[in-house]
Formats: sequence, structure tokens, C-alpha cells
Amino acid sequence: MRARAIARVVGVLTAFTGLAMLLPLVVSLLHSENRSAKALLLSCGITMGAGGGMYLSSGRERYILSHREGMAVVALGWALAGLFGGLPFYIGEVFPSFTDAAFESISGFTTTGSSVLTDIESVDRGMLLWRSFIQWLGGMGIIVLSLAVLPFLGVGGMQLYKAEVPSPVPDKLTPRIRETAALLWKVYILFTALQVLLLSAGGMDLFESVCHSFTTMPTGGFSTRNASVGEFESAYFEWVIVAFMALAGVNFTLHYRALTGNPRSFTKDPECRVYLALLAGLTLLVALDTHGPVYQSFGKALRYAAFQVTSILTTTGYATADYEKWPAFSQLILMLCMFVGASAGSTGGAMKVLRVVLVAKYCYRELFRLIHPRVVMPVKLGKKAVPEEVLHGVMGFFALYMGVFAVSGVILCLMGVDLVTSLAAVAATMGNIGPGIGDVGPMENFAHIPAAGKWLLMWCMLLGRLEIYTIIILLVPEFWRK
Amino acid sequence: MKIVIVGAGEVGFHTASRLAMESKDVVVVDTDPKSLKRVSEHLDVAVVEGSGASPQVLAEAGVESAEILLAVTDSDEINLVSCLFTDLMSPATKKLIRIRDADYTDFAAKLRENPPHIDTIINPELEMSRFIVRLLEEPGAEDVAVFGGGRVRLVGVRVAPLSRLAGVRMKDLLANTGGRKLLIAAIVREEKLIIPSGRDTILQNDLVYFLAPAEDGFQPMELFGRSTRVIRRVLIVGGGRAGLRLSREISGLGLHVKLVEKDPQRCSFLAEALDKVVVLSGDGSDQELLTEENVADQDVVVTLTGDEETNILASLLVKRMGVAKAITRIDKFHYFPLMQAIGIEHVVSARMAAINSILQHVRRGKVISSVTLKGESGEVMEVVALETSGLVGKPIRDLSFPKGALIIAILRDGRVIVPTGDSVIEPRDRVVIIATSQAVPLVERALSVRLEYF
Repeated sequence: MRARAIARVVGVLTAFTGLAMLLPLVVSLLHSENRSAKALLLSCGITMGAGGGMYLSSGRERYILSHREGMAVVALGWALAGLFGGLPFYIGEVFPSFTDAAFESISGFTTTGSSVLTDIESVDRGMLLWRSFIQWLGGMGIIVLSLAVLPFLGVGGMQLYKAEVPSPVPDKLTPRIRETAALLWKVYILFTALQVLLLSAGGMDLFESVCHSFTTMPTGGFSTRNASVGEFESAYFEWVIVAFMALAGVNFTLHYRALTGNPRSFTKDPECRVYLALLAGLTLLVALDTHGPVYQSFGKALRYAAFQVTSILTTTGYATADYEKWPAFSQLILMLCMFVGASAGSTGGAMKVLRVVLVAKYCYRELFRLIHPRVVMPVKLGKKAVPEEVLHGVMGFFALYMGVFAVSGVILCLMGVDLVTSLAAVAATMGNIGPGIGDVGPMENFAHIPAAGKWLLMWCMLLGRLEIYTIIILLVPEFWRK
Repeated sequence: MKIVIVGAGEVGFHTASRLAMESKDVVVVDTDPKSLKRVSEHLDVAVVEGSGASPQVLAEAGVESAEILLAVTDSDEINLVSCLFTDLMSPATKKLIRIRDADYTDFAAKLRENPPHIDTIINPELEMSRFIVRLLEEPGAEDVAVFGGGRVRLVGVRVAPLSRLAGVRMKDLLANTGGRKLLIAAIVREEKLIIPSGRDTILQNDLVYFLAPAEDGFQPMELFGRSTRVIRRVLIVGGGRAGLRLSREISGLGLHVKLVEKDPQRCSFLAEALDKVVVLSGDGSDQELLTEENVADQDVVVTLTGDEETNILASLLVKRMGVAKAITRIDKFHYFPLMQAIGIEHVVSARMAAINSILQHVRRGKVISSVTLKGESGEVMEVVALETSGLVGKPIRDLSFPKGALIIAILRDGRVIVPTGDSVIEPRDRVVIIATSQAVPLVERALSVRLEYF
């Protein structure tokens, strides 16, 4: 572990976070929001100063990051971006405490969308744009992370989803990241622009279209309205957002392939097929369940079910309905969706459809082996056998995920939060969804959680976002040994 | 007609033997003097010692004046090179090649259009696998031959001791089938083919060939005391090329397939390549494994390893454990006569399949196909009746047909006609004829004057 090597990369990331504050600063100035503009300018200075300082302190030597340093950079980079990103909220007095400011910012950078902001509509436009913009930046980071960095580091079975980007030196991390990122970001930016266009065409004002598009593509879920997307009461907006949430939950490599003339890659990809089947199937189940007790017409039930299922399964976290008033069956389906999540290689969080599929196949194989002790049966994905070490990574990930979920839930209960709220809050933050059930449901927020609990949930967001291993490895003493 | 055969192994030897019996001009080429000695001692053919891949040797064998080249060594590469030089030296020569590697067979069309212009590629494993599939589709059968693009099937069945037909004379057949018509084309008894007349009697343990499909809802199998239970579960021993091909094919037909293979690495490969097939790592003659997998509940066990002895032992073992039907792959021809004695009923052979297929292609012309019956005791061929032929225009009973030969079906406009003495063959009809080995040359001679044979 070379501190200077890490400081160099993390410094650049931090400085970039500061630089990004210039966009909301411009918007603030345009709307002559003086207090926010000042706060953004000051935060921008502090963040860029800190980042630049770290960079300069690393000296002039160039480093090639090792495996372990790579993990440390990812973990530290995300945490620092989150903390510095909270500065404008704190300095601009959007929140009274730094805890709340950091919670909102980390929830943004991890594209979670859990909020501690009670009256969103009273906040300055510059601040609202920053709040959405950090989600969009977080989404960009995740694409690179999940398709270029984590597969290379071999985290949790992500090796299966190496982005197939032509690269002159296929085994080197740096040129891969650069090229992969460039290609996939183009897709990301294209979809965002398209969504802005479609939303404003439907009559949403430009500022709100941009903010919502900034939080849809990264499956973030921050809205500019107190009652989330539901406040617009527009079926058109809802279906546009459903479509883009669903797109954001697909592996971006598939989007890239589809856009370069291979539209059948969606139906060919085994994970994508399960993902689409889940979206359609669960929507139908929830619609059938809510039709009658909640909604009079099936069309309406379908509209709200589609939105909520897509929102939770892709881990976006927008709401158009108070699903806590839905029957228990529908609530449980949504709760389980919080664990499944979207596809690997998408901006969505949680365990990922791919891993759930592999765990299910692995379990089936174990049962099969009891019946046929001598059977040779690779776990297959499509036509290809999945290597055993990848399966071990996936099983380990599954166990860790459940373990962290259990421990965090227990600690939160210890702080006096009730049972359902504790479990839902941990599931919603680890899965980077946003709202949960109970006192953190779609119509409430996380403001009432005790400060220590908020830090715990921030930790959960980072864990979930960075695929558990990358963060939890920092706690393993072996990691720090020379 | 001159034919050069490259390779004096089992396939080369037996093909040469059959062609020599039909008084063709055969030259056999091989590098191994011992194999050549066997050929020259037993058969009336010429031999040339040397590699079939060498142009000099091919020239010496007279490939320039040959009508057909058969490249049937065990090596795909030598066969290909041999075809290549033949193509260069004598483009008019027809080339038949035996290729085992599926990687090459995918190029069949390209190899035909481009040099070396190979006319026919024969894949023994593929032919054998097709034959096994036919056996599985016809439960109870021991042999199945297909004619007229599948419209006529000649089914061979072993008469069980408890069969209602055992001991019945041919002329009393109708009374014993409950008035249903059943055309028995041939009986193989102690490796001899009998074309039955009214006086012949069906005995138990005879291999009886009858014409299928019979009338609707009529199950001749049951009359012979054989089960007609549809086959659903198959266990295959041996995951080589043949095992892989067969597993893929029959699991595609919806059968439940278990595949046993010894080599763990090969198992991993098979398991990845095959969907829906349960791949088991172990020895096919391991009793414990067979018990674990409830072998007694399998409808059929097919043993396809490359080792005859393993196949025989595994087949005997599973039969003892209660499997009704075992299909055994045996490629050593001198084992064939023993099989009946040790209780192995269903024998398949990639080499036999290759020979059948080669003979069929050699005769391409007016003979559409020909199939050898069990034990090489006779042959069934499908021919086109030309206008000039002596077959046409007369009722069958007036034809001067050799003893030991029988017309068993006429195919006209896609219909199958079972001939009686009054039937008249029309020009362009396809005729299926069965003949004993002794009668084959006679039939040929009888037909060759009028019927264009090659």
C-alpha cells in the first residue's frame, strides 16, 4: 500500500467533485440565489483545494496501481466525494447538521435516493440541481466501476461481466477503463438527453426535466417534489420514467451493442431475459393484487404497479403511490425486489439479477447432486459454463450481503428504531433504492433516524454501492499488512 | 468398373469383399503389409503397398483409370490428402471419403465445390447414431432399414419364446394375426437368410423382417412377443464422439438421457456442450454407479465406448440388473457371430454403418439405396424401374425372378404399394427388393440386362 499512489488518484477524484459544483453555481447565479451561490462557490474552493493538495502531495512520480490499492482508491474516492459533496448543503444551511448534509450527499453519490429533506420544494434551485447532479455523477462512476474496475479486481463474480470493449492492451486496467468509460458514458449521456427531451415535450419545465433525468439514468431517485413523481399526476411522465428506469437497469454493454447494430443482444443475454421477465411478471402480480382493494380500474392498477415495481427493482426509488397502503402481498414483493436489484453492469444496485440467478442455479445443482452423486453439472449461463471460482465469489457475496444486512439491522434496532423500519431502512440503503417501508416509506423520509443510525446507513449505502467486498476488505487486517 | 480403396482396415476389407463378390475390379492400398496380406489371401482383389497419401502409390494403384476412389483409412488427414491428389491426377474419378471428425464434416459443401471435389463424405459415427435413433423409435426392433425417404421401413424383430407366432406356418399367418395383413419379407435363422414361402415356419429366436408401417392400430411387435412400450429413458455409456452425437440428438427428441463417461475432463466438456443431459463421471461397468442411477428403470442402455470388451461387459451387467434392452457398439467384425450366443441382441457398429453407407453411395445411380441385413446374410435394395427394364409391364408372378429374392414394396407417386402376384410395375416406380447374399449377383445379373444398374 503506497499512500502517495492512493492520494494521487483520490485527489483527482475529489478535485473533480469540486469542479462539478460549478454547474449548480451557474444555475444559482442565474436565479440570483445569493446564499446558495456563495455556499457552492466556497465548497467548490474547499473541495478543489483539498483534492489539489492531495494530488500535489503525491509528488511527481507516476504509479501503476496494484490490486489492493485499486480497492482502496475505489472505497476512499467514493467516501470522500460523498463527504465533500455534502459541503454545499451544510454551508448553504439546507441542513442544520453536517450529518444530514453528508447523508444526503452520500445517498446521492451512491445513487440511493434516501433523503432527509422534508420540504424539498422550498430549497433553492441551485441546491436541487446539485442534489440531482451528484446522482448523475455517481451513476457515471458506477458504470466504470462495475464494467471496468470490479471485473478486473475480480470482485464477487463480476468477472463474468467484463465489458467487451476493444482495447489494444486487454489486460491493463488503465487503457481499458479509459476506453470503456468513454464508450459507455456516451450511451449514458445519450439516454439522459433523450429523457430530458421526452419529458419537456410532455410539458414538464426544463429545470425539472433535467433534474429528473439526472436521477433516472443512474437509478438514483431524488425528485424535486415532496411527493416524488406522483405529484405530477401525469401518466405520460410516469410511463416515460418507467421506460428509462427499465433501460437504466440493463447492462450498459448491451445498450452499447444494441446501438452499434445488434438489437437482439437484449433477448440473447441470459441475465437480461430474467430481468425483463421479472419486471413484466411482478408488475402483473402486483397489478392483479392491487386491482380491487386499492384501485378500481385494472388500467390504473397496472400503471401504479408498473411504476413501483420498476422503480424498486431497478433500485431507483421514485414513488407515485403510497405502497404502504397496498396489500401485504404486494408490499412483500416490493421488499424482495429490494434485494434482487437490477442487472450487473447497470447503474442499479442491490445483489443484481445475475447473482440471484447464479445462486438459484447453484442451489439447484446441490439438490441435483444429492440425487445423482456422480453427476458433472456446471452451472451454465446461456450456453457457457460459469467457472467455479466465479461461483464461489458469488456465493461469498450472497452470504456477506445477508450478514451485513442482519448485523446492520440489529444495530439500528438497538438505537431504538422499530423492527420493520430498521430492516427496511437497511435493505433500502444497502440496495441503493431510497425509500423503504414503515417509518421510512415512500411518503416519509430518513430525517427522524438518530444521527448514529444515519452514519450506519451511509456506511450501508457505500457497502452496497461498492459491491460489499471493496469496502469490507478495509476491515480485514490482512489487507493492511505489507 | 474399377475401384481404388485406400485403407485395408475393417471398413476397407469388408467393402472390398462385398464389391469383389459383385465382380468389380478392386485395388486396395495400405501401408501395412499384414493387412494387405489378409486382403489378398481372402479376396479376389489387387493390392498395392504404400501410403494412400502418396501420388506415386495412387498412380501405381491406377487411380487415373478408376471410376471411384474410396478413402477409408482411420486417419481423416490421409483420406483428405488422398482425395486431393486423386483430384489433381484424375478429376473424373468419383471420390468417397470417410471422415470422423465433426469439424471437417461441417465443410462438406465446400469440399464438394472446391478442390478436392469430394463427392460424398461418410461419417461413421453419424450413420451409426442415425441407426440407433431408428432403433429407439421402433421399440422392440433389432434392426430397422428405411427406404423411399422413410415411407417404407423394414423392421427386424427377434421372435420371443412366448410369441403367438412361434411355430406358425407362413400360410397360416393370417389366421394368427386376427385377420390383419402382415408382410414378412425375410427370416434370418442361424445367420442364414430365408425368403419365406408358404411352407416355411416361424420359429422362436428367428429374426423376422416385416414391412412397416402396418395398418392403423395394428402392433405386429406384440405378436412377436416384444414390448412396444415407448422409450423415454436412455442411459449411454461412453462420451466419445458417438456418445456426444447420440445424446444431443435424442435429448433433442425429448428423451431423458444420462451419459456416463470415465474421463472427468471430458465430462466437464460434455456437460457444457449438452443441455438437459445428465452427465455422470464414472465407469459404465461400475455396479455401484449403476445402482445409484437406478439403472433398472432405464428403458434402454446404449454402450458406445471405443472398447468392445467394456461395451460387452457393461451391456451384460445392465441386462442382469434388469434393463430390458441394451444396444452394444462392437467394431470388431469377428465378434459378431458370438454375440447371439452370449446374449447380446442389439449390436451396432460404426464400421458396419460406414460400409453400408459406402455401398449405397457406390451404387448411386439407378439403385437408390441398399442395406445389408444382419450378419451380411442378405441385402435390401431400392431401384428405379426403367421403361426398358424387364420388370415393367408384367404381373409380378410372370416375372422370371431368381429364387431367394422378393419384391417387397413398390413406391408410386409417394404411395406405398404392397405387391401381390397380380401387381404390375410401371415405369419410374421405385421397387424395394430383398435378396439373400447368394441371390444378390443373380438378381443383379437378371436385372443388369434390362435394368440400368450403374
